[in-house]
Amino acid sequence: MIAENKYMLAGSVDEALQAAKQYAGSYRFLAGGTDVISNKIQGNDTASCLIDISRIRELKEINGTGSWLKIGSLVKLEELKNHELIREEFPALIQAAHSVGSPLIRKTATLGGNLLCENRCVFYNQSEWWREAVGYCLKCNGDICIATGGKKNCFSKFVSDTAPVLIALNAEVEIADETGVKIIPVRQLYTSNGINSLAIPAGSLMKSIQLLPGTGLRCVFMKLRPREAVDFTSLTTAVSVDGNKKIKIVLGGVDPGPVIYEPEAGFDPEEMLEKVMKKPRMVDNDFYPRGYRREMIKVFIRRSLVELKII
Amino acid sequence: MKALQLTVNGKKLQVMVPEHEMLSTVIRETLGMTGTKTGCSQGSCGACTVLVNQEPVLSCITPAFRCEGAEISTIEGLANAGELHDLQKQFVEKGAIQCGFCTPGMVMTALDFTRKNPSAKIQDIKEALSGNVCRCTGYKKIIEAVATYVSESQMKKGKNTKPAGAERKYGIGISRPSLEAGRKVQGMADYADDYPLKNALHVKFVRSLYPHAKITGVFTDEAKAMEGVRYIACGEELPVKFGVLPISQDELAMAIHKTRYVGEIVAAVAADTEAIAEKACQRIKVHYEPLKAYLTIDDSLKDAGESERIHEYGKYNNNVHKKAELRFGDQEKGLKEADIVSAMSFEMEGVSHGFTEPHAASAWWDENGLTIITATQVPHYLHRALARTLEVPLSRVRVIKPHVGGGFGGKSDPFPHEIIIAHIARKTGRPVRVRLNREEVFLTNHGRHPSRMTIRIGAGRDGIFNVLDADIAIDGGAYGSFGVVTSYYNGVLLQAPYKIENFGFKTYRVYTNKPQCGAMRGHGAVNSRFAVECLIDDLAHRLNMDPVEIRMKNFLDADSLTVGQYRITSNGSVESIRKVAEQSSWKKRHGALEYGHGLGVGCGFFISGSALPIIRNELPQSTVHLKVDFDGRVLISSGASDIGQGSDTMLAMIVGEELGLSPDMVFVLGADTLLTPVDMGSYSSRVTFMAGNAARDAAENLKREIINAVTASLGIPGGELLFSNNRVFSNDKTVDLDWNKAVEILTAKRGAVSVSGKYISPKLGGDFKGAGAGLSPSYSFGACVAEVRVDPETGHVKLLHVWGAHDCGKALNPMAVEGQLEGSWHMGIGQAMSEEMKYHEGLLLNNNFLDYKIPTSLDTPDFSTNIIETIDPEGPFGAKECGEGALHPVIPAIANAIYDAVGVRVTRLPIKADEVLALIQKKKLNEMKEQML
Ligand SMILES: Cc1cc2nc3c(=O)[nH]c(=O)nc-3n(C[C@H](O)[C@H](O)[C@H](O)COP(=O)(O)OP(=O)(O)OC[C@H]3O[C@@H](n4cnc5c(N)ncnc54)[C@H](O)[C@@H]3O)c2cc1C
Ligand code: FES
Ligand code: FES
Repeated sequence: MIAENKYMLAGSVDEALQAAKQYAGSYRFLAGGTDVISNKIQGNDTASCLIDISRIRELKEINGTGSWLKIGSLVKLEELKNHELIREEFPALIQAAHSVGSPLIRKTATLGGNLLCENRCVFYNQSEWWREAVGYCLKCNGDICIATGGKKNCFSKFVSDTAPVLIALNAEVEIADETGVKIIPVRQLYTSNGINSLAIPAGSLMKSIQLLPGTGLRCVFMKLRPREAVDFTSLTTAVSVDGNKKIKIVLGGVDPGPVIYEPEAGFDPEEMLEKVMKKPRMVDNDFYPRGYRREMIKVFIRRSLVELKII
Repeated sequence: MKALQLTVNGKKLQVMVPEHEMLSTVIRETLGMTGTKTGCSQGSCGACTVLVNQEPVLSCITPAFRCEGAEISTIEGLANAGELHDLQKQFVEKGAIQCGFCTPGMVMTALDFTRKNPSAKIQDIKEALSGNVCRCTGYKKIIEAVATYVSESQMKKGKNTKPAGAERKYGIGISRPSLEAGRKVQGMADYADDYPLKNALHVKFVRSLYPHAKITGVFTDEAKAMEGVRYIACGEELPVKFGVLPISQDELAMAIHKTRYVGEIVAAVAADTEAIAEKACQRIKVHYEPLKAYLTIDDSLKDAGESERIHEYGKYNNNVHKKAELRFGDQEKGLKEADIVSAMSFEMEGVSHGFTEPHAASAWWDENGLTIITATQVPHYLHRALARTLEVPLSRVRVIKPHVGGGFGGKSDPFPHEIIIAHIARKTGRPVRVRLNREEVFLTNHGRHPSRMTIRIGAGRDGIFNVLDADIAIDGGAYGSFGVVTSYYNGVLLQAPYKIENFGFKTYRVYTNKPQCGAMRGHGAVNSRFAVECLIDDLAHRLNMDPVEIRMKNFLDADSLTVGQYRITSNGSVESIRKVAEQSSWKKRHGALEYGHGLGVGCGFFISGSALPIIRNELPQSTVHLKVDFDGRVLISSGASDIGQGSDTMLAMIVGEELGLSPDMVFVLGADTLLTPVDMGSYSSRVTFMAGNAARDAAENLKREIINAVTASLGIPGGELLFSNNRVFSNDKTVDLDWNKAVEILTAKRGAVSVSGKYISPKLGGDFKGAGAGLSPSYSFGACVAEVRVDPETGHVKLLHVWGAHDCGKALNPMAVEGQLEGSWHMGIGQAMSEEMKYHEGLLLNNNFLDYKIPTSLDTPDFSTNIIETIDPEGPFGAKECGEGALHPVIPAIANAIYDAVGVRVTRLPIKADEVLALIQKKKLNEMKEQML
């Protein structure tokens, strides 16, 4: 029985949460929709009720007046660069946002949606017919991972380009549900499980992304992709260092979740790079072979550390 | 269905729409505003861009109901009372429009961008357009159009400048926009999927899930029972085989008994809507019995043993489709005598045309038989294939070519979907339409063959080449297509642009269980040219010679014969390579740049039309009719297919020039097999040369008719009259008539006059088997220099600049020629850097514009475009081809630049960072080892 397709435009957070409750189990929030709709077209997203939250005004604001900088979840990737405080304090976030898709995508895509976009794999992001032909993988209710030729684990790639930067910057998100609003670190949004990669509970909505300015945290962002526009990541790296020289390394595009590594003080750079390189669970489901992507982790992190004047 | 309120281009509307419908569908189908295009339906190409409340969105991934109450602006709303918007004018003026399929999206994106960035710089414009794919132009002219618009808008503030193009001059050798550019820039040009069709059925296909399998049953009952399903067709209904070449009639419209690739059509459903047809397809059950699949060249070269072969074809128990071999001189002796020999093996992945318009067609039957409107480059061959497979006389088939959104060889075969809808239209008595989605376009393939080859080239110490020997294998996929020609072209087209006495090659084309390969821009010779030009670079380095100099020493002379007896007429090789060397400061910079930074050169040549028609017969290769009536207008009718390259404009220019008529007097009726005379179609870069000559011949014939009529009416002896400025006159002014007056004299008592002109290639070539391959009445030549920066730690290659020069004989319309060259270089860069068709057990992995990586505006370097003119003695006004040959030199130029930058030889395409890095590391390791010894 195919449920009747519904489309609703939510006017407020409450309305959106209400609708989510009413259509529990069969709804999808639509922010920019650039990820959801692409997945729907290929039949990977089967939600019958689309709750369009793009008109909720309160989620479109950037508020830098308090001690925390609050970026509404619906702020578009393209808009981040217009905000002075973000430009000054978090240029890496702007670079990350700018590396997503194409200019046209970034004019619609939101920061919240980018944090919550679906994991990807060449054996998954395909049409219904294609997936039938290959014999459905784990992520679409099949029995095995096709990229690995039969493993029982899903290795779909975590692809958000802004998440690594936000994690490296210790960002938090405001999550609202029926019971109220709670604040969690960005890294807690992810399960690192390829099949269900998001930890945000059903029925809840992301209101904002929060960053603490003025901490002296510096961050370098890099992305590997074949073309200079449109392409998803083959490797995203964000490396930050705070006033106490505490380093945080975050990798995207190489594992079912963001990979986080915080080296101890006084680390040996080459040893450390070797360790970081080995962390992601990577398979051949990308334009570039995995050996190369591993090697690039080292190059990118080393370059980031040099740029941050750490080595 | 739910009511949706929209304001579209200022008009308030209410429409009933399914709740999850996309905006693009509502605009195109519910509202019938087909100016907005869909190229990928997945957010990856930008063709569908419209403005919603003044912000650009990709309408293919925008839910319609998001736009409730919103104001939508589409391309149709841009011009004001027939006056083009200034931005549109620049697109027209600058030649930014070829096929025009990307144009509406491009214009809308640029419109928004320039509004918000009124003083944008070139780099900003490149960046802003990087989500809009154009496959034709190489972006250069689009960027120029936007930049000019920006600078003119800035200048204009306050001032009233004269509109662009106000005082245009027309004539051969003077740039002009294409005839239909104004229509295309307004979204008014109809492409195959844009035609409204009353009461039409929609067709969708069931496609094979197996690369090689017996079909043991097709069960359609459940699908048949669905409401709205009108017809289900299976293979047995269309048992007649077809193929573009008479020697490879190996295709069926739908698989019968067995399927040969994943994606092959097994059944077709016609229903009231596309959605119903699609659902019904899912309910058709097909039983397969898998057979051993042959997926690589090696699989197919081997003896098949007990396993079933792909086709019952050929003498041996393997899957070889064609072996082509020709030898001139003595290669073994040549190799022995050479002072130096370079030999390397190369591998190239298959690539796809990537035209932005997906295939689409509609068909119906009436008292005239079948009419089909379809995105095709070859109406004539399709005409024949339809008559053959539907078993009707040729007189019962009419093929109409609408505007076509690019082809590049990918629309030059008759296709199963065309035959199937014609068949279903006959069976149901209703019009039937079909359009392929992007995935299906990739599955239809016919792209460049994956290839591998080992080539040896030898030279004396003086750098004079004395031998070239090529051993080539190409992967043809499941069917023949143009493959026999491709097999030859890989080899024969190595006998120029250099003199080589001892020249020979052997090519195997194999069948594999993958979508078939065919002809693609630069047909057959792109990969082997890449290999040879890399080898020449290697020879030069080892001989300590300049790669430009060594080529200069070896070029064929003008008016000479190649070893395989190609007749070379004019030859601009030397001028071409000189030009690009000079512009790139080659002498100073090649070999002298810092590590990681390099320059490379490559050359090439190509045929100006195949001298032999595909179907051997006595028909001219091109016929053009001219009709003149009382209004003085000349109607050119020609079967040549304008697919965006501008051939209609070329015909109008030639006829206008010959008859001395202004452009408003000349009209073109193109490619409708009922109304226009036979032309072989747009392939092998033949149209300017052949249809152009036919048009010229027709114009000459019309002149003669006019001269005869005029002189007879004046009672003076016949002779020469001059045709210019819409007048017909003699030098001494005894005759001095306005064109219309002359036409009146011509048509008096006789009525409208039709004359015809034709082109037939001269008899060319040697007297041996295979002598016909690659024969052409004329050849184009060219060269490229590429500049790259290679990151030695990542292997990443950044293309900085390409200087290109191409000898096209005579540039009839320089702007159009530049557009062809820039488009060719862009496509070559794609194959060099990022494009490949990747398979997983026969299943195409990257069947969309996200994963199949056509270079964006940001990936495309700046081009320096140079036209070299040499005047071919037989080309119309001296013209030869410019649409394909320019692709050849650019790929090796890039690879050779990488060698100059970091000292490694890339032998695989595409050139991927991981491989470049591995080569750099290997080289370092070797150097270390050597130092230790
Ligand atoms: C051609 C193309 C290229 C792309 N390239 C990239 C790329 O390079 N890098 C990249 O990271 N992504 C890329 N994307 C994916 C996508 O466009 C981006 O991730 C984008 O940022 C998603 O944002 P959105 O607002 O459109 O999200 P949506 O599609 O609206 O939503 C994504 C997910 O987040 C949920 N969601 C969104 N907002 C909220 C909220 N406030 N509360 C709760 N749940 C929410 C949705 O329910 C959905 O599950 C690309 C997409 C396309 C089509
Ligand atoms: S059709 Fe919408 S982006 Fe390609
Ligand atoms: S003109 Fe851009 S795709 Fe053809």
